[in-house]
Amino acid sequence: MLIRKLFRTAWSYKSQFISMIIMITLGMGIFLGFNMEWYTIEYDTSRFFADTKYADYRLYSQDGFTPDELDSIASIDGVDAATRFLSVNLDVKDKKNKALALDVSENFTVSAFVVTSGEGYDRNSDGFWLSDKFAAANGYKTGDELTLNYQGTDIRGKIVGLIKSGEHMICVADKNQMMPDYNTFGYAYMSPVKLRSVIREITESSYAKKYNIPEEMMDTVVSAAENRIFGQINLLSDMDKEKLEEAVKDKLGKTIMVTPKDDHMVYKEAMGESTEGKTMGSILPVLFLAIAILTMVTTMHRIATKEKIQIGTLKALGFKNRRILRHYTSYGLFIGIVGTGLGMVLGYLVCKAVMSEDGMMGTYFDMPDWTAATPFFCYPVMLGTIVFLTLISYLSVYRQLRGTAAQTLRPYTPKKMRKTLLERTKLWDRLRFGTKWNLRDLSRHKSRCFMTLFGIVGCMVLMVGGLGMRDTMSGFLDLLDKDISNYATKVNLVDNADSKKAKDLAGELEGDWEALTGISLGGDTVTLDVVHNPNEKLNIIDEDNRRIDLSNEGVYLCLRLKDKAKIGENITFSPYGSKDTYTVKVIGCNRSIMTESVTITDTLADKLGIKYTPTAIYTDRKSGDIPQSDLISGKQEKALLMDTFRSFVSIMDGMVVILVVAAAVLGIVVLYNLGVMSYVERYRELATLKVLGFENKKIGRLLISQNIWLTVIGVILGLPAGIGALEWMITALAGEYEMKIMLGPLTYCVSIMLTFCVSLLVGLMVAKKNKKIDMVEALKGSE
Amino acid sequence: MSIVQFENVTRIYKTGDHELKALDKVSFSLDEGEFVVILGPSGAGKSTLLNMLGGLDSPTDGTITVNGKDISKLSENELADFRASTVGFVFQFYNLIPTLTVYENVELVSEISKNHLDAKQMIKEVGLEDHMHNFPSELSGGEQQRVSIARALCKNPQVLLCDEPTGALDSETGVMVLKLLLKMARSYGKTIVIVTHNQNIAKMADVVIRVKNGKIRSVEKQDSPMSADEVEW
Repeated sequence: MLIRKLFRTAWSYKSQFISMIIMITLGMGIFLGFNMEWYTIEYDTSRFFADTKYADYRLYSQDGFTPDELDSIASIDGVDAATRFLSVNLDVKDKKNKALALDVSENFTVSAFVVTSGEGYDRNSDGFWLSDKFAAANGYKTGDELTLNYQGTDIRGKIVGLIKSGEHMICVADKNQMMPDYNTFGYAYMSPVKLRSVIREITESSYAKKYNIPEEMMDTVVSAAENRIFGQINLLSDMDKEKLEEAVKDKLGKTIMVTPKDDHMVYKEAMGESTEGKTMGSILPVLFLAIAILTMVTTMHRIATKEKIQIGTLKALGFKNRRILRHYTSYGLFIGIVGTGLGMVLGYLVCKAVMSEDGMMGTYFDMPDWTAATPFFCYPVMLGTIVFLTLISYLSVYRQLRGTAAQTLRPYTPKKMRKTLLERTKLWDRLRFGTKWNLRDLSRHKSRCFMTLFGIVGCMVLMVGGLGMRDTMSGFLDLLDKDISNYATKVNLVDNADSKKAKDLAGELEGDWEALTGISLGGDTVTLDVVHNPNEKLNIIDEDNRRIDLSNEGVYLCLRLKDKAKIGENITFSPYGSKDTYTVKVIGCNRSIMTESVTITDTLADKLGIKYTPTAIYTDRKSGDIPQSDLISGKQEKALLMDTFRSFVSIMDGMVVILVVAAAVLGIVVLYNLGVMSYVERYRELATLKVLGFENKKIGRLLISQNIWLTVIGVILGLPAGIGALEWMITALAGEYEMKIMLGPLTYCVSIMLTFCVSLLVGLMVAKKNKKIDMVEALKGSE
Repeated sequence: MSIVQFENVTRIYKTGDHELKALDKVSFSLDEGEFVVILGPSGAGKSTLLNMLGGLDSPTDGTITVNGKDISKLSENELADFRASTVGFVFQFYNLIPTLTVYENVELVSEISKNHLDAKQMIKEVGLEDHMHNFPSELSGGEQQRVSIARALCKNPQVLLCDEPTGALDSETGVMVLKLLLKMARSYGKTIVIVTHNQNIAKMADVVIRVKNGKIRSVEKQDSPMSADEVEW
């Protein structure tokens, strides 16, 4: 019989039950969703990295590595496997705006791939293994002919297999491309034997006749060219960076730039996404779960007080306290189980919306397996939440059960009213009845008032955070598109391009150029950006986004490095692969949104004797109008580049939609639940007002005006909290970029308006109930 | 002069398929300034009758005229205006607003009544001037009912409707409240309608209407009603 009562009582409190279940579902769903997301990233990527032998360390040398050097490095105690590795960006012949990163893993023990269709790896193969996503986007299939262009020489071969590789799990052409675009850029592998034949072909056609190289010397010349072209050794090792650096130095007798996988774009970005998920999975769900639990506390307390007489009746009938407790405690258990169950479903959907081939990350990560995984700690949290909710209802009922049956049978008596400080002032007497009534109601029901404020602030925070994120990202793109990048095409130059020729080419294209090299600054790996930008195609900007006319008197530190030295102080750095150190004065700060960099003019770099090779030219010419050159490894049109950024922003948009919808749901559920509770609690008062002759509209206005006050306070508190949340989200979601918060007036207006709309909508929904007040019924019985 | 006129008033409550006739073709009239007691056992329909008269509920059939106005077909808002201007209520359980002080509870009616009396004066007249700034929870039952009377009269209504006004009070306090109710109504010239099942109160009335099973059993005019002190409680 009590079970029947349980369901009937639950039905009579349906709006409270439903809102509590929604809150628990939301809290649990977001908690599980984001935590599953980051764990799935780590779980799936680590399996993929292991399958494709993703390199733990990458060693770079501008002069290349010889097979002997490889053997020396492979022999280091603690190095499990090592290979010479080449990755070079090449254009696909006769296809406009299509390029590939062509990789060669010499012994295939590190940086390998998995085949999704076609032939497996063969070190003697004459064909290509092509990225399956690039193939799908461009209509290639196994057996098709593919021609790539390497410094004017065609590299032809059949596509022998379609693959996925950990090295290119996030397949972007360079640091300026935020999102993969398989229509324009992919990757392919070829065998070391084919590489050698290509080098031989180039050597024979270009140099053999020119320099009269005898046939018997050809192998030696080809090997030398091969050694020079393998500028990278990839290895698998658990050693720490310093020990490895030392060991490499010992073996090779020179400093080599050693970068751990944490600095490699693919691993760094993947782990960055995981960290973002961890951050989102820690704070956002706490907000929702906290509101859910607070809602549960206030609602269960009210249900228990409303049920007091029924509890007393059961007690008077002879039911034992234990039985009554079990009966009412099952409400919390029921809400906990249903909410957590639905939360699990929502969590899985959130995780899948982000981490699946068709989800938000589907365009970012290219990997074969997208199995959703749950971190272990989620299970005790789920169980703990159910136990905690059950405990809340237990305690709420326990409080009512204390004392004799007769005491419990007496209706709940609210706390006695006491005058507040404001009520003792003369101002109080001047206030209108509605104001007094609402002020007293708020001071009498502090927990309800606090919860309402919490709901409005939460709603505002999510709105400002979500919409502000969009503003900031749009501002960031504008900055990149208009203030920094004033060019039409970025021309990427081959590694070790001849400096003079590169500068001449830049002159011919009337463009600016830059040279990026890795340097060690105070133990950190940062980028030295040697810039030549008189044509204002590539702008270096200050904190206020104005172009800096670079001075030759010193270097500029990007804002993220400004703690390294004050303006006027000197910094000392040393380029990787070189024993030289340079000391220069810091003369300013600049915004470098992509990399942590030290910016220097080419004039000063030349004066100091810093060795560099231009890496890219920025020009207004369209990519088709740029002449063929051995120096060019690829061309990127800014418009296409900006498209990849926009697809990154569209991922953000997904997040913004989630946040704004969550804000609205949070606002509506919390405010409606509290509104209904307030209405129920004041039912008798409202009925009295109605009997006295107050019109429905007037009573509705009284109720809505309280909502409006709380909304105004909530908005005032929510705005700065929202900006704080936005700052946190920018760091969490885009920590790898130097971003400034930008909030347009529209965002302020929309956030405030939406919050008010939610509050007013709920107010009207509750006020509408006035019409249903049964004055006769309400005024029967004592208070 | 007749201030209240009930003509063939019927009220039927429907619960699912079940129909309950709470009032069955009730007709009577009351004159201005009369002290009327509606008497009857529980479930007789006396509270329904009072609720119809007070504009808290509308009849299923028939007409109710108060102060020359047919209130049986009024809209929700018109009924609210009627309650605000024409009738005052005193309930068994006082129904004061717990978050407002004594003064504020009485002053409250100034929000809706254009013709209201001075709240402080009313509180003084019910003898609660020392409790003006107390909350209802700080008052005894009798005191709370006195506030309720002050609030009802402060609207300056033509008819004062009281539903078991002494039902929640001990007899001594009940008598005191009745005396006050009569004194105030007489001095302000109001028609008082009290619904009760207490036969003793009927002895004080000018008119006694007996109700049973939703029908008027009798309407008696008493030429020489007793004072509260004369009635044996």
